[in-house]
This record gives sequence, C-alpha cells and structure tokens, in this order.
Amino acid sequence: MILLLLILVPFLGAALLGVWSGADRRNAGRFALLWSLLPLACVAWVGGRSGGVMEEWKLEWIPDAGMDLCFTVDGISWLFLILTCLVVSFSLAASLSSERANRAYFSLILILEGALFGVFTARHFIPWFLCWELTLIPSYLLIRLWGGSGAPRAALRFFIMTLGGSAFMLVGFLSLQLSVGTMDFTKLGNLAALHQLAPALSKTFPVAGMAPQTLLVIVALAVFLGLAVKLPVVPFHAWLPAAYAEAPTPVTMLLTGLLSKMGVYGLLRIFLPVFAEVLPSLAPLLTALAVATVLLGAVAALAQTDLKRMIAYSSVNHLGYCALAIAAVAAAQTDRGAVSAALSGTVLQAINHGIIASSLFFGIHILESRGDGPRGLRDFGGLRVQMPVFCGVSGIAVFASLGLPGLSGFIGEFLIFKGTFTLTPWAAVISVIGLLLTAVFLLRMIRLVFHGPLAARLAKWPDLGTGERALFGLAIALIVIPGLWPQALLQFSNTGILQLLDLLRPIP
Amino acid sequence: MNYSALFIQLLPEAVLVITALVLLGVAVAFESKKLQQFPAAAAIALATLGILIAGGVLFLLPCAKDSGTPLIVSDPLARLFKGVVLGLGLLAVWLPPGRREIPQIGEFYALLLFSLTGLLLTIGTNHLLFLFVALELASLSLYLLAGFPSTAKASEASLKYFLFGGVSAAFMLFGLSFLYGFSHTAKLTDIAVALAAGPPTALAITGLLLVLVGLAFKMAAAPFHYWAPDVYQGAPATTVALVSAASKAVGLVVIVRLLMIGFHSVAGSAGLGAMLPGWSMWLAVLAAVSMIFGNVLALAQSSVRRLLAYSAVANTGYLLVALAANGQSAAGSALFYVVVYGLATLGAVAVTAAVERDRSDDSLSSFAGLVHRSPLQAVALLVFLSSLAGIPPLAGFFGKFAMFSNAMAATGSGGQPGLAWLVGLGAIMSAISLYYYLSVLKQAFVRQGPDEKTSPCLSLCHALAVIVPASLIVLLGLFPSLLLGPITQALKLSLGL
Amino acid sequence: MNPAWTILSAFAGVLLVLLLPSRFAGLARVIALAASIVGVVAAAAGCLQRLTHPEAKVWDLNLPWVPELGIHFHLSANGISLTLLLLTGLVAVAGVLFSWNVSHRPRAFFAWFLTIIGGVYGVFLSRDVFLLFVCYEVVILPKYMLIAIWGSTNKEYGAMKLTMYSIGGSALILIGLVVAYAAAGATSFDLDFLASVTYSSSLQAWAFPVLFLGFAVLAGMWPFHTWAPTGHVAAPTAASMLLAGVVMKLGAYGALCVAMPLFPQGFEQWKWAIALLAVVGIVYGALTALAQKDLKFVIGYSSVSHMGFVLLGLAVANQWGLRGAILQMISHGIIAGLLFGIAGRVVYERTHTRDLTELQAFDLWKSLPGAAIAFTLATAASMGLPGFSGFVAEISVVIGLWRAFPWLTLAVAIGIIITGAFSLRAMHRAFFPVRKPSDTPAQILPSLTWSEISAISLLLVVSLAIGIYPKPWVVLIDDGLRSSLFHSILSLP
Repeated sequence: MILLLLILVPFLGAALLGVWSGADRRNAGRFALLWSLLPLACVAWVGGRSGGVMEEWKLEWIPDAGMDLCFTVDGISWLFLILTCLVVSFSLAASLSSERANRAYFSLILILEGALFGVFTARHFIPWFLCWELTLIPSYLLIRLWGGSGAPRAALRFFIMTLGGSAFMLVGFLSLQLSVGTMDFTKLGNLAALHQLAPALSKTFPVAGMAPQTLLVIVALAVFLGLAVKLPVVPFHAWLPAAYAEAPTPVTMLLTGLLSKMGVYGLLRIFLPVFAEVLPSLAPLLTALAVATVLLGAVAALAQTDLKRMIAYSSVNHLGYCALAIAAVAAAQTDRGAVSAALSGTVLQAINHGIIASSLFFGIHILESRGDGPRGLRDFGGLRVQMPVFCGVSGIAVFASLGLPGLSGFIGEFLIFKGTFTLTPWAAVISVIGLLLTAVFLLRMIRLVFHGPLAARLAKWPDLGTGERALFGLAIALIVIPGLWPQALLQFSNTGILQLLDLLRPIP
Repeated sequence: MNYSALFIQLLPEAVLVITALVLLGVAVAFESKKLQQFPAAAAIALATLGILIAGGVLFLLPCAKDSGTPLIVSDPLARLFKGVVLGLGLLAVWLPPGRREIPQIGEFYALLLFSLTGLLLTIGTNHLLFLFVALELASLSLYLLAGFPSTAKASEASLKYFLFGGVSAAFMLFGLSFLYGFSHTAKLTDIAVALAAGPPTALAITGLLLVLVGLAFKMAAAPFHYWAPDVYQGAPATTVALVSAASKAVGLVVIVRLLMIGFHSVAGSAGLGAMLPGWSMWLAVLAAVSMIFGNVLALAQSSVRRLLAYSAVANTGYLLVALAANGQSAAGSALFYVVVYGLATLGAVAVTAAVERDRSDDSLSSFAGLVHRSPLQAVALLVFLSSLAGIPPLAGFFGKFAMFSNAMAATGSGGQPGLAWLVGLGAIMSAISLYYYLSVLKQAFVRQGPDEKTSPCLSLCHALAVIVPASLIVLLGLFPSLLLGPITQALKLSLGL
Repeated sequence: MNPAWTILSAFAGVLLVLLLPSRFAGLARVIALAASIVGVVAAAAGCLQRLTHPEAKVWDLNLPWVPELGIHFHLSANGISLTLLLLTGLVAVAGVLFSWNVSHRPRAFFAWFLTIIGGVYGVFLSRDVFLLFVCYEVVILPKYMLIAIWGSTNKEYGAMKLTMYSIGGSALILIGLVVAYAAAGATSFDLDFLASVTYSSSLQAWAFPVLFLGFAVLAGMWPFHTWAPTGHVAAPTAASMLLAGVVMKLGAYGALCVAMPLFPQGFEQWKWAIALLAVVGIVYGALTALAQKDLKFVIGYSSVSHMGFVLLGLAVANQWGLRGAILQMISHGIIAGLLFGIAGRVVYERTHTRDLTELQAFDLWKSLPGAAIAFTLATAASMGLPGFSGFVAEISVVIGLWRAFPWLTLAVAIGIIITGAFSLRAMHRAFFPVRKPSDTPAQILPSLTWSEISAISLLLVVSLAIGIYPKPWVVLIDDGLRSSLFHSILSLP
C-alpha cells in the first residue's frame, strides 16, 4: 500500500497544481519543490528501515491472462528511486529561477517523476510499459514547449524514436506472452534459468528451419532495441544531442539524470535475466555496440563547441560503460567475481552519473541564467576570476565526471573495468581510449571556460547565490560521499546483484 | 332465404343511403329557400351522423345469421372491414372538401355516402356479379367525386379516372364472364370447387388474369396505375383520402376473398427454384414492378400529392408481396398494413390540404418551415410519413415487417425461403422510399419558411382528421395486436382454412 | 434499480422535454441532463450488481407483445450489454454537457438526442430480434434531424447520406432477420431460440453476409464507410459524439450478438473476408486521416480506423479477439466522444474554424491550455498509449489476431503506426503551432465553461480508469461471452 501511495504522490501533486488556478509561477514552483520532498523523505525512510526492500503491491488486470499491475522495491530499485527523488528535486529547485517555467511545466515534471517511480518498481511488463510510455508525453511536451529554437524538431525526433523502440519492445514481450502466458519478469527469469523459453517460443511460432535459439535471439533483439534507444546505444542515439541541447537545462538534468537510467535499469532488470539463454550469442553484437558508444560519445564530445552538446555526448560515453559491462556479462559468465563486479559497477555508474551529470548541467544552467548569450566553449573564459566559488564546485563535478579517485565517478568505472577486463579483455582495452578522450575534452573545457582571459560580457556576473550554493553543496556532498564510502550504495545493491547472478548461471 | 336476416345484414348500407337522400333533400330545400350555399359544416355533420349510426348498427346489432344467399355474407372479415371502411370514410368526411368552395355541397357528400355504400357492399359479398355491381357503384361515385369542383385539373382527373376505370371494369366483367363460362356459377365457393376439380383450362386462366387486371387497376398496381398521379393531384382532398384509404382497403379485401376463397387451388408458387404457374407468380411480378415503379418515380416528384400517388403504387407492391406468399398469416398482415397505410395516407393528405390552404399549392417548397407555422401539422406529418417509410415504433413499420416475415415463411425449394428475392427487393425499395419521405420532412422541419407567422388554426373537423389517424398509428405501432388480433381471428373464421 | 430504467429515463426525458412550454425551453437541457444521469446510474448499478453477484441469474424481462408473430418484449442484461449500457450513459451525459449552450430550438434538440439514447439502450438490452430491430431503426430519423437542423458543414447532404446508408443497412438486416425467422419455423423472434436453430449451410452462405453487411455498414466497415466522415463532420458536436461513439457500436453489437450467433457456419466461411476488410479499413482510415485538412475530418476518419479494430476482433472470433472488440467499442466510444467534444465544442465554438492551418493562428496552447492538455491526453488515448483504454483493447485484439490470422498482424502494426502519425500531426498543427515572434499575437478566447470541463474530465477519467484497471470490465465481458449465444462461435477452431 505504501508503495502505491508513493507512486501516486507525484501524480496527486500534479493534479493539485492543475486545479490550483491562482498560482503564479513562483508559488507553483515552490509547491512543486516542496511536494517533491515528500517522496524523497518516504524513500529515505524506507531505505533506513529495511535496507530498501518493500513489500509488493499487485492489482489484477485481466484475470487468468497473466496480466497484472505489479510493483515492488528491492535494493537496486531503491537506489534508482532515491536517485529519481534527488534529481527531480534538484531539477525543480533549478527551475525556480527560470522565467518561462509555469504551472504546467511543474505539473509535467511531477507526472514524469511518478512515471519514473513506476518504471523503477515495475515487476511485470504491463506496468513497466505503461510507465515507460507515460514518461514520453511529459518529456516531449517539456522539450517542445519550453525549449529553444530547434525544440519542435528535436522533441518530435525524440518522441518518434523512443516510441518506435518501445513498439519493438512491445512486440517482443507480446510474443513471450503468447508463448508462455506470462509477462512477469520474475517468472520469465525463472523460466529462462530452466531453459524453457526458447522451446516454448518455437512451439508458438513455428517458423520452418529456424532453431529455437534463433527465435529467442530475435525477440531479445526487439526488446534490446527499445532499451537501446533510451540508453542510448549507438546508432540509436540520434535523438539525444538535439533533445538535450534544445531542452531547457533543468529538463536536460532530468533527461540525462533519469531517463537514460531507464535504459540501464531495463537492461539489468529485464534483459539479462529473461534472455539469459541467448546472451552468449548476442554478446559480440552487444560488445561492439557498447564499445562504439563509448568511443563515439567521447570523440563526438571532443568535437563539440556547444557546452550542452558536449556534456550530452559525454553522457552517451558514460552510459556506454554501463552498456559495456552488460555486454561483458553477456559474453562470458564464468567468473562470478568478475560478473558481480561488472554488475555492481553498472549500478553505481548509473546512480553516480545521474548525480554528476545533473550537477554539470546545473552548472550550465547557472551560466545561462546569468546571461542569455551563446554557450559555446569559447564564449566563456576566465570564469575563475569572476565566479570562483562556482568554478570550485563545478570543477569538482567535472573531475568526478572524469573519474578522479575519491569522487563517486571513479568507483563505478573502476568496477566496470575490473569486471570487463576479466570477461572481455579486448573490449575493455579499447574502451580505455574513451577514458582518455573524456579526460581530454573535460580538461579542455576547464581550461577554456574557467581559466584564460576574462571575456568581456562576463564582467558583471555575480557568483553563486545562497540558494545555488546550498544546492550545489548538496550535490557535491552526494558526489564526494559515495566516492569515499562506496559501501553506502553497495549495501543496497548487493542482494539484488546476487539474485541476478543466480539466474545467470553459466550455460552448460 | 331468410329475408329478415337479409334486412338486418343490409342495415348499415341502408342507413347510409337514407342519410345520403336526406342530405340531398335538405340541401336542395335549403338552397332554394335561402338562396345561399348549404353550409359545408352542416353537410359534414349530417354525413358524420349517418356514418356513426351505420357503424353503430353494424357493431351493436347481433351478428346476423346466415341469410342464405351468397350475395350478402356477414362473416367476421366483412364486419371488421366494414367498420374499417366506415371509420376511414368518417375521417375523409372531416377533411375540407377542397381549396375553394364546392358549389354543390349536398351532392358532394351524398355521392360520398353512396360510394361508401358501394364499398361496404363490395366487402360483404361472395357472388361475383354482385361484387361487380357494388364495385361499380363505388367507382362511379368516386369518378364523380374526383371532378368537384370544376377546375381544369379536377376535370382532367375525373375524366382520366373514369376512362381508366371504365376500361378496367370492362376487363373485369369480361374475365368474370369467362369464369362463369368455365364454372357455370358466379358463387365464389362453387367456383373454387370447379377449379379444384381438374387442371385449370385456358378459359379459367384467362378469366382469372382479366379479373386480376381489373383489380390491379383498383389497387393502383403498376403498370395499371397511370390514373393515380393525376387523380391524386387534381381531385379534392376528400376524394383523394377516400381513394387512397378506403378504396384501397376494399380492393385488398376483395382480392383476399377472391384469391383465397375462390382461386386458392390455382395459387401456384413464386418461390425461387420452385416456381409453379398460378396467380402467386403473377402477383409477385406485379408486386416487383409496382415497387420499382412507385419508388423510383416518386424520387423525382416535386408535388407532394403526386409523391403520395406514387407512394400508393409502391405500397400496393408491398401488399402484393404478402399476397403472393399465399398464406393466411401473410394475408392477415397485408390486411393490417392496408389499414395502417390508409390511415397514414389519409393523414398525409389532410396535412397537405392544410398546407395548400395556406400556401396555395402542394409543391415541396410550400412545406418549408411547417414546424414553425404549425407544430401540430408538422408533427402529424412526421408520424404519417415515418409510418409510410417504415420507421418504428409506428404501425407502418410493424405492418411491413409482418408482411415481409410472413412472405419469407413461404417455402421454396429445399425448405429455403422461396420468396426471399421478392422480400429482399421489397426491403431495399422500402429503404429507398425513405429518401423522398425525408425530402418532405426536410422541408417541414429543417428549412425555414418565407415568413414566420403562424398558420391559422384548422377547423375542428380537419384537426380531428389529422390527430385521430396520427394517434391510431402510434397506438397500433406500440400495440399492433389490437388490430392484428381481430384480423387474424376474422380471417381464420371467414376463410375456414 | 434494474437496467430497464435506462430506457425509461431516456423516453421519459423525451416526453418531459416535449411538454415544456416555450417560455421554459431553457430547461430542456436540465431535463436531458437529469435523464442521462439517471440512465448512467442505472447502468452503473447494473454493472456493479453483476460484478458483486456473478452467480446470480442475469436480469431478464419477458412480456408477450404480438403473439400472432411470436414477438416478445424481451430485455436481458448480460455482461456485454451492461458494459455497453454504461458507455452509452457516459457518452450521453458528456454529450448533454457539451451541448449546454444550444440555443436554437433546444427542446427539439434534446428530444431527438434522448430518443437516440433510448433507442441505443434498447438495442443493447433486447433479446428479441424484432425489438432489437425496432430500437435499431428508431435511431435513424433522429440522426437525420439532429444533423440536418443543427449541423454545420454540408449538413443536409451529410445527413441524407448518413441516413440513406443507415436505412440501406437496415434493409439488409431486415432481410437477414426475416430469413432466419422463416427458416426457423416462423414461430418466434426470440434471439436465443433463433440462434439455437441450425440452418442449412446453403442458406447460411448467403444469409450471413447479407445480415452481417447490414450491421457492418453502420459499424463503418470499409468500403461502406463513406457516410461516416461526411456525416460526423456535418453533425453538431453532441450528435458527432453520439454517432461515432455509440451508434456505430450498434452495428458492431448487432454483428456480434445477432449475425454471428445466428449463422455460425456462414460466419466461418466468410470470416477471412471480414478480417481482410477490417484490416483495410484500419490502414485506409489512418492513411486518409493523415491527409485531412479539417480537424473534425481527421477524427472522423480515425473513427473508421478504430472501428476496423472492432470488426477485426469480431472476425478472429476467439476469446481474446471478442474481448478486445468489445473493449475497443467502449474505449473508442469514450475517446471519440472526447475528441469530437473538444474539436467541435471547445475549439470550433470559439474559433469558428476547424482548418488545421487556420487554427495555428490561434495559438491554442496559450489561449486554451485546458483544451490543449485534454486534446493531448485524448490523442494519447487514441494512439493506444498504455495507461489509457485504447491500449488494453488493441493489445487484446492483436493477441487474438495472432492466434487466428497471424499474417495480418503486420498490416495492423502499420496501421497503428500511421495512427500515431496522424494523431500527432493533428495535435501538433491544431494545438501546438510553431509561432515566430513576428506573428500577430493570438486573440484571447473565452476560457472553458464548467460544463465543458466536467464533460472532458468525466470522459478522461473513465478512459484512464479502464486503461489502468481493466479487470472489472474484462470480468463483465467474459461473463457476457459465456452466454449460450457464443458457444458455437467460440468453439469453432
């Protein structure tokens, strides 16, 4: 019951905002921010109380058809939930200073939050898909209506590509439903562990001359397509740079911090367990795509001059590491230690990248709010002189993104590489190039933006205000603490990872 | 022969004749004394009185015993339909005689009563010659009634009616003579025996065919319908009402009697795949032709009266479909429908008469904005035309449905519904008919009239002539058993089948 | 409160409205609203009753009517009927609310409106085919009147076309019903009795397509669908909602509950043709909608496309397919009501244009944000986005389709994609125009009235409710499908 309330609370907030016709944008924003703290408190309390585990909530949808609305929270989900709460509150706080944000804007963000809760807690394809699609409309509207000049096209492309990918996901799961009569992730995982999925599939869809495994591979690819668009995995990332750049920066915080994590979560929760039988066959393709993502993200970021696009491509790169880990786990599941390292790394990277990337975009937002001018790499300069505090804190965020040890960005990448080196060494080696390139462009950014001669138009810019300092401070704390004490996060994810390991027994 | 029983049987007709003569006398006396027109209201009142007394006599007197002559029979069918004809005649009497004053009011209503007498006598006989005489009495009166007042149009209508009617009467007499020659009797029951005795000879068949032609004229079945549009357009409203309602009902009763009592052994079958020669097939062909002609030609009309005439042709088609099925329940449903049809057309004619009075002609555009000028007329028109089109929950819908159901029940080859082709044609034609009825209703309800002033109120009689049929149609639509029950019962007893 | 109250309330409403003196003509809408509310409450009560007491006997009312022909006044409320009654009630209430400011001859308007509602209730409750046909036909004349008097674009032509197609379909239905009656011995018009008779297969081979076609014309099956867009566009808002939302479902209901049970072997022979035509309808409707310039035409053609799903569900004739068909009937009824209500009443009344290019000048997102949001949600529902009722319906039909005609699934998928495309295009152009700063500022439009808000909210909430928690509806539908009528259809391989 508490879980249901938790998921509904943001929607309730959006509804209240909807009917509160007298609210001006200031009040609407404050209300939304305060309201978003409710789930934050609730999730935090749950985390403290029971290690992040909550009991399941289920609602029968179509009886005797294996279709239910089913939500539950375990450690891994809890981590993503708390990330959602934090990033949403962060984004709302950032939006308070924006002039274009109004009641509708804040309602849409709250709706998005509720949908994300649903995605991260769904245990059955129906609620998963429902909430997955539910995130589409708010994000589409947020990009289109409050975005920049190229927003309509960017939003449309985002919408269509995501919708297209999820259509494939739907088809894949429908075929599973037709074969084994269920779309529950746990049940499917169990069936996959018993190697029963492939035979059932080939019985339902007898295509002449096709091995059962091949059929399952096709279904797996369909599902992967849906997740890959969100992650994003090259070459399905085409929507991302434009969307991130055109969206208002607080919305970009949401996009990078949360929406991309939907893909990671999906890979972990759905893709790995359900399609365990055919993972080895898929592994080469997955690895290739992951490596391409890592490299392309880094190279493209290097070539950007617009700050937002640069960080956008850098997000592609960072999430590519998660894809790399998943691909490595798919390739060879021989070494339990390596696999658990890779998986833990994925979770950590996802969570930490959420915070870090949001902070980076928050920094860009602050720069935008100071002056409306261009935000190219070379349009700033000597910021260190004018806004030292800002440069200090955002510098920490940049270094975290780089992967400096002691900050949270390091531990995720470290675990991923540790696992990948053991499982697919050559992929890990090539991906290291990505690390190097990331260092290059991030340091270049620091040099060009923070150091150097002070650009004329920046002369009057004030440094961080109190509110901004508080927010940034909070973010930095969230970056530093897990960096020094990763166990804080790992304690939640360990049980889930172990369960996943059990399902992924090596194929005989 | 039991003369007292005969007298009692003839009492209703006698009342009508006496009323007619009294009316004539009073009218002449009045006009010669007062040197002004005999008021129409008085004539109507007298005629009403006469009809009511005749009706009372018909139903209140005990069912007459058989008087021993086939010239007059009082079986339940005859009594029921005599009552129906009297009712329809009463409604027709209440209609205003015409657009302009009719100079000879007394004669007009006297002739009307005479024609009613003829119609009543036609229903209650089993003897072919007497049938012919009674039919002629009715028809001649109607020919004259169509010619009041002496406008060009009315005269043309009357002349055409007379010419067509005369020729078809000749045909019928000719046919009757052949039948007599074949069976040596004019009694229907004896003719039946003669026909059943052996395969029908050419004489009998020709006679049958000619009689059917004569009756088809009466019923305005295509291709013997050419008199109808002109008569409906030229004759005064009262005459049109009589022709379309009472005369048609009588025509149907006569056909039912003839075919189902007299000629049932040569019925044949019109079922697909099981066609047998007989009147059933001829009726089926007539029905198909009537339905197609009537509906298609009605689509092109811009005068509402002519539209009603072609609608009469089409409705005859539907009736003949039911008759072609040669079944008792089919005949019962046809009889039900002819009553309902009569009410609906009579009502439509009544409303058209009112519109003509206000707008001086009966074209479609005269009806424009009727719902604003006179809601009563518009709503009544809605009821009448919807009933004709077959829209539930009105009686016309039920009638058509019953007819088609019963017609379908006539089996053809292999137990399949044989008349499905005919019923299918009927259903589709009936659907097409909605178009032209709607075009009138469109004028009345959707279009705006040239001015918004309300029409003057109808006279009481005229209003009654509009309200009573409308109410009856609604009532019979919701509770068809009220009429269908007695008809079925009467048929069962009268035909003895 | 038994389900017959639905019919009673509607016709009582008609009488009361007609008896109003002209001074109080403004009260007509209040009476209509009251009657609709009574109807929807009765329907909801019936549904709840059935849900909480599934083992009880189905409500039944059987009175002899015309014994000479074996006609009975037989009403019965099984699960399918109950869900469709509830749909009708909801659309009726919303329709009255959307028509709240009709000022031209309101008494006549609401009288015709309530007559349609009453007739529709009657069809869904009838268990005697004569009664069903009577109620089916009763609806025809009011449809004509509503469109021809209160309509807009091309109203007389649209009204006549719609009416003539309807009566043409009815003629075919009449033939089919009467054939069944005659071949069953001409004793009774009771639906269960007629369905229990086994007709010869040669009879079924021609009788079934005639009867099914008659119903399918009203359901908008391609290529007999051309009346629908013209008629719906010509109609006033409430009539469009009714026509697309409810009256089209009469055809599908008739096909499901009369044509298919009466002639199951005939159905078996023809079902591939029905499935094919349905799929063509889905794709054709969607493609045509993509090309429209008038917002209402987009919605009209989208109705044709969505009804294709219903017919497809009927054609596959397995549990999933039939379930999906009925769910789609309900879902599309609500969604079509919503879309027409917003496009017709909220937008057209204020802007007096439905042309997509002209609407851009109004910048509706700024001037009518409530309408924009509502239309967005309605578009999402229409596209079949999960969370709304359309998704549940379409997924059920697709699952059923896969089991029966798997190779048609591709075409259906294409149709769904095109549906998404045209829905987005219409929503984009109409409500979220791209405006340059140099454009003239949009004029201020009056904001939504309480009646519009209530109607929109009602429909949206119901669509969401079905989309999120379809179980009670599915339970009711399954309960209805257990009726003996469907045994022969569902048992066919």
